[in-house]
Amino acid sequence: MAEILKTSRTSKGYLGGLALISVLLGLYWGLLRAPPDAYQGEVQRIMYLHIPSILTAYLSFFLVFIGSCLYLWKREKRDDLLAYSAAEIGVLLTALTIIEGSVWGKSTWGVWWTWDARLTLTAILLLIFAGYLMLRSLTGDENRSASAAAVFGIIGFLDIPLIHMSVYWWRTLHQPPSILRPDKGPWENIHPELLTALAINFVAFLLLYFYLLSLRLRLAEMREEIKARRME
Amino acid sequence: MVNMWGYVFLAYGIVWLAILLYTVSLKRRYRAAEEELKRLRASEES
Repeated sequence: MAEILKTSRTSKGYLGGLALISVLLGLYWGLLRAPPDAYQGEVQRIMYLHIPSILTAYLSFFLVFIGSCLYLWKREKRDDLLAYSAAEIGVLLTALTIIEGSVWGKSTWGVWWTWDARLTLTAILLLIFAGYLMLRSLTGDENRSASAAAVFGIIGFLDIPLIHMSVYWWRTLHQPPSILRPDKGPWENIHPELLTALAINFVAFLLLYFYLLSLRLRLAEMREEIKARRME
Repeated sequence: MVNMWGYVFLAYGIVWLAILLYTVSLKRRYRAAEEELKRLRASEES
């Protein structure tokens, strides 16, 4: 799995450049080009960050899940490093999603925070993976720490279906999903101009995510090699 | 409306500043590890 993300220095550079261009394009489209929403007005532009950041965070925790399962099965260090690297970026994206949601909530609902099921479960997701990172840095025995973290990562990932379904299972303030819903495609819910802005920003977040992940994964590999050389 | 733009800029400012800081910190850690590795390889060869 981690092999797929192994990129050369040149391809990292291209990926970084492409990510930067798409981020600038996303900013232009999200802040200037897309019209304001008919009901929410300008504040809806926060959704061009909020939706891509949470979907990319989900992808990141999915990679933690895959990396953790593979590590427990095959005991290959690279899978553990992939899970660890993806968890770090996933925590950043989840924290940012909560902050963006909070700013949007203040302008729309009138409160920075409410104990809504989806918000609470997302905060729990953040705490689980913050705990995962702490576990990695606290335990002395590395193999035991990696195994414990892998179990933690797999259990943590199970919170994501709960977050997604929470708006159907409980009466929540948070609206139902606009993108990942079973009965309708996003093009049936969202005006094409708003959907274009969202799609561009989603691609920008994805490119940026894979750029950061390739750097973080290579950093983890280099640290492993440093440790091994020091032991010799 | 001006007030609404304030919320938009607050959210965009926090997000892109945090991502920029993380990228800078990641690149710094990356370069430090690269240097360290180079040093270790060189000392092993000599």
